[in-house]
Amino acid sequence: MPDALRAYVRGIDAMNRAIGRCAMYLLFALVGVLLWSSVSKTFFTPTLWTLETAQFIMVGYYILGGPYAMQMGSNVRMDFFYGDWSPRRKAMADVITIWFLMFYLGVLLYGAISSTAYSLGYFGTEPFSFFADLARAFVTGGPAAASEVMGHMERSPSAWRPYVWPVKVVLCLGVALMILQCTAEFFRDIARLRGEEI
Amino acid sequence: MSQDMIAIVMFSGMMGLLLTGQRMFGAIGFVAVIAALLLWGDRGGFDLGFAASIKLMKWYPLLTLPMFIFMGYVLSESRIADDLYKMFHVWMGGLSGGLAVGTIGLMVLISAMNGLSVAGMAIGATIALPELLKRGYDKRMVTGVIQAGSSLGILVPPSVVLVLYAMIARQPVGQLWLAGIVPGLIMAAAFIIYIVIRCKLNPALGPILPKADRDLPRAEKLRLLTAGLLPLGIFAVMMVPFINGWTSLVESSAIGALAAFVAAVLKGRMTREVFENSVRNTLGVTCMFMWIILAALAFGAVFDGLGAVSAIETLFTDQLGLSPWVILILMQLSFIVMGTFLDDTAMLVIVAPLYVPLVGALGFDLVWYGVLYTITCQIAYMTPPFGYNLFLMRAMAPPEIGLRDIYTSIIPFVAVMIVVLVIIMIFPDLALWLPDLVYGK
Amino acid sequence: APSVGRAQEPIRWRFQTYAGAALGEHVTKPIIDAINAAAQGELEIELYYADQIVPTGELFQALQRGTLDAVHSDDDSMASPTPMRVFGGYFPFATKHILDVPVLFNQYGLADIWRAEYEKVGVTWLSAAGQDPCNFNTKKEVTSLADLEGLKLYTFPTAGRFLSQFGVVPVNIPYEDAEVAVQTGELDGMAWSGITEDYTVGWADVTDYFLTNNISGAWIGSIFVNQQRWADLPDHLKELVMAAIKSADTYRNQWYWGGEARLRARGDKLELRSIPPEEWKQVEDAAITFWDEIAQEGEVHQKVVDIFRDYNDVINRAGPPYTF
Ligand code: NA
Ligand code: NA
Repeated sequence: MPDALRAYVRGIDAMNRAIGRCAMYLLFALVGVLLWSSVSKTFFTPTLWTLETAQFIMVGYYILGGPYAMQMGSNVRMDFFYGDWSPRRKAMADVITIWFLMFYLGVLLYGAISSTAYSLGYFGTEPFSFFADLARAFVTGGPAAASEVMGHMERSPSAWRPYVWPVKVVLCLGVALMILQCTAEFFRDIARLRGEEI
Repeated sequence: MSQDMIAIVMFSGMMGLLLTGQRMFGAIGFVAVIAALLLWGDRGGFDLGFAASIKLMKWYPLLTLPMFIFMGYVLSESRIADDLYKMFHVWMGGLSGGLAVGTIGLMVLISAMNGLSVAGMAIGATIALPELLKRGYDKRMVTGVIQAGSSLGILVPPSVVLVLYAMIARQPVGQLWLAGIVPGLIMAAAFIIYIVIRCKLNPALGPILPKADRDLPRAEKLRLLTAGLLPLGIFAVMMVPFINGWTSLVESSAIGALAAFVAAVLKGRMTREVFENSVRNTLGVTCMFMWIILAALAFGAVFDGLGAVSAIETLFTDQLGLSPWVILILMQLSFIVMGTFLDDTAMLVIVAPLYVPLVGALGFDLVWYGVLYTITCQIAYMTPPFGYNLFLMRAMAPPEIGLRDIYTSIIPFVAVMIVVLVIIMIFPDLALWLPDLVYGK
Repeated sequence: APSVGRAQEPIRWRFQTYAGAALGEHVTKPIIDAINAAAQGELEIELYYADQIVPTGELFQALQRGTLDAVHSDDDSMASPTPMRVFGGYFPFATKHILDVPVLFNQYGLADIWRAEYEKVGVTWLSAAGQDPCNFNTKKEVTSLADLEGLKLYTFPTAGRFLSQFGVVPVNIPYEDAEVAVQTGELDGMAWSGITEDYTVGWADVTDYFLTNNISGAWIGSIFVNQQRWADLPDHLKELVMAAIKSADTYRNQWYWGGEARLRARGDKLELRSIPPEEWKQVEDAAITFWDEIAQEGEVHQKVVDIFRDYNDVINRAGPPYTF
């Protein structure tokens, strides 16, 4: 296994582990927001922001924590046959079938990106060129120029009406990290087939 | 290709991919997005997978998931249930099979504090199992009791399985939970009756505890009873504000998580390691569920888009002329068969788009059906070759308990569960009485 | 000319409504049934209820993309990116009766504004129709404005924003959770619909009182189509779709108009309560200020508010039955 690939796998593992371990503690942020929600509605007046804030935290929790969970082997598999296979045979199967998973994540990522573009006011069908324009405008003209490129900013249909782009950006990021983790798993399995453990 | 044909191809494609052993959410998600792309093309084919994530985000009761999972881990990792076991041990030991009966009681209390069956399994296998074996209990009896008892975790509220069912069937979680209470207690009672009768017929299966073991001073015996206050207390701080409308279900779950955490801290059991394990495992299990449901929602949307459900309904009712009850019974049978080799979320994902609308269309109550589904999941948890409790038992059992013992141990308990399932099917009021009482005007 | 030997594949549309199945049966399904029956297989529309294909808040984007071909919703619920958003659903005191809506759209020019604004964002707006008024159904008895103080209500964002000045606490929860939230006491009731819907969706089973004063006389909802799909549709099918919408509008007008009367008079699940008109006048006056605020938000907002003002001036002078 080339050193570069080995470093790549370890690098991705380390990055996703670090991000995942931060996301892991969002559990307490979630508890905190929900407790505040209970307290405020019992003793004061109900707050408008807690419900959606909790939902956004949950997205961060499971999307950013997803790759770390994958590292830990948390994702269940149907091990009707798989369970009885040797590690080598498992690696062989995974090397092929992980592409199905990556395909799913790829489509998910594309959807996330185009939905993020929508939330920033881009209604066309070329989200990538929109982001390219956005980046170019930002680099050349700063935030003012960037906001020229953006249109109607999507807000959540609730009384609180928060902007939704931040949570969509988190979704893009999390799915992208998930794909990176899949590539790492892929190379790890390749290495395993060649009798090497990364 | 006709729509029914496409539906069949989608299902078999998913089954095929699942059998390769790839992560379940990948298999389900792949079939969903590929079907969306082939059927819908650039008219939304790319967006359907992602739309599911927004649906998932907006489904408020899912926030309870990490809370109940966390509670379960805190309970089992911190061993705050040890005293509970001691309580049952001393109080029930005088009865033939009493420790097994006490273990069922223990499982009911643990079920009221967590949403999955893992906590019950872990506590049962680490505390109850070695003790019972030491006391000469029959090993098959013991493994069966623990596997069956811990499966109550998903029927007695809080229940993660019922939250997921609620998400997919779009039913109110509060009602589903209340609907699970009476059937859960009936099932526990049925286990106990079975144990008592078995041990009466053959006392060697569950020897009476020697007098010396349970002859504590009266004051000490009463003190042990207070151990039972902990689970009741946690259950109460969670459910009372909810039933009274001070908090929503989700907020109550956060209170429950906090209560379990505080209890562990006060008992001095919240070590660094316990904390780390609880928090990390909660992330792992929550992510597992969330990603599967994410994929499943996309699958469901594509399937809905096919309009195949009405075609299948027509097939069953008009063309085959089956009565609603026959269809329902066939569904339950297929559920049990599938449950032997599928896990519960996979089962839910595969059958929900098909069964749930059909059950609704046939005029059955979807809250009641949620209870039937959950009981089937309990059976699935224990039946080989695939079952969570089975795996956990295999991993946690001491060497003297072989695979054959584990497999045979569940037979009588599965039989009891099927009897309870039939009873709930015949008398839907057993499940629906409590939600009607609480939520009636 | 009658087409002969038409063997080509039917045009298939995916159509999602904001309504759940129980309500959708009356408010949306008649449109679809009429089209499918009359199109003789040339156009086949599959109807999906709330959140089936995409969540309601994503309806607009799905329509733009073609994930859905057509949608029935109010502008508010579907999170429309146009200025129309605040006016769709219930705009406080803009209308008094269900027929005001088609009059406003067809005689006073709202249709042109709606069509033009949606054209700009790549969606074809076909038609708007009125539905039920926005009344309160509650567990607590409401007979005066003072009773609104601290009342926890499930309501539309715009209505919540408006009602909060009278002490109403708008509670932000998902639609499907509202029924249970009333049962548990987390909510005191809803300001979401008229009495017909209260009975249809089951809310009448969990609340006790119905306040006859409304904060809007008719819900404004529209039918939208993906621009390209509409352009691709042969003219005779366009006519057919429009005719089916009109016929369903007629059915819906009767269903609500008759339902509101019958269930108020003979329904046995909700007791009627009223706030005296003199007192309710304070709320109506507050709406005038609210309209001014909204009009400040932009040119289109100003135009729409002017039309509402103009029309209300006409009906106020005309007197009953236009003003009840
Ligand atoms: Na439980
Ligand atoms: Na099984």
